[in-house]
Amino acid sequence: MNTFGILIGILTLIIIGLGFPLVIQTERQLGYLWWPYMLGLGVLILIASLFIRNDWLCVIVGVIGGTFVWGSTELKEQAVRAELGWFPFNSNKVKPPFESIIRKWKAPHL
Amino acid sequence: MEINVLGLVAALTAFLTIWFGHVAVRKIEFAAPAIWLPAVIFTTLGLLTEYWSLVTENLALKTALGIAGITFLFDAFELVRQQRRIRKGHAPANPHNPRHAAILAEPNSHATTLDLLKREPIGEPVNPDQAAQLVIEH
Repeated sequence: MNTFGILIGILTLIIIGLGFPLVIQTERQLGYLWWPYMLGLGVLILIASLFIRNDWLCVIVGVIGGTFVWGSTELKEQAVRAELGWFPFNSNKVKPPFESIIRKWKAPHL
Repeated sequence: MEINVLGLVAALTAFLTIWFGHVAVRKIEFAAPAIWLPAVIFTTLGLLTEYWSLVTENLALKTALGIAGITFLFDAFELVRQQRRIRKGHAPANPHNPRHAAILAEPNSHATTLDLLKREPIGEPVNPDQAAQLVIEH
């Protein structure tokens, strides 16, 4: 009987809470078309977690990876929120590499 | 080289339970005449899951249950936040739900039956009329 699971649950809540400003700022500064890069980064972080021996660190890195994956699916809706004026709108966004290809893909949303 | 799947287990559990909660909270809040009952159910489920995480010996199961339990507890809180979104017009109100009908009928109510997020971004700010038109066309 130990509290590892409960503490990891609380840590996960905190890490995912940090995902909110991550999504807001990424959309505001860069734009939702960066979603494939955020998704890819999340998957890479997740893979990196597989090679960490320490259980605490392995879980924390894994959850950070999962947060990036989740965040990538939130960017499109966040872009609409900014257009609606629920968040500040920035018209000078940084265009992603391969923008024209990414525009042809349907941005994921859960 | 040894592989440690604990991080992957944690990420998958977080992703799947949050996805489930995200959908369930919106559907339940939309239909429920009162939100205290589903909130009590989510809270009970969360506490039981945390207890199970505490007593199980298997580390992967312990991790998954710890995360799932906190997610259920947060879902109870999300029901309250969802009702707040309805009041602000940030989520669609259900006119057939008496609780939502009352919110829609309040003087100077900002609530709407439209889901203003259900469209593709157009790349520029929109006024309230355009916002409504865009989701109707979508």
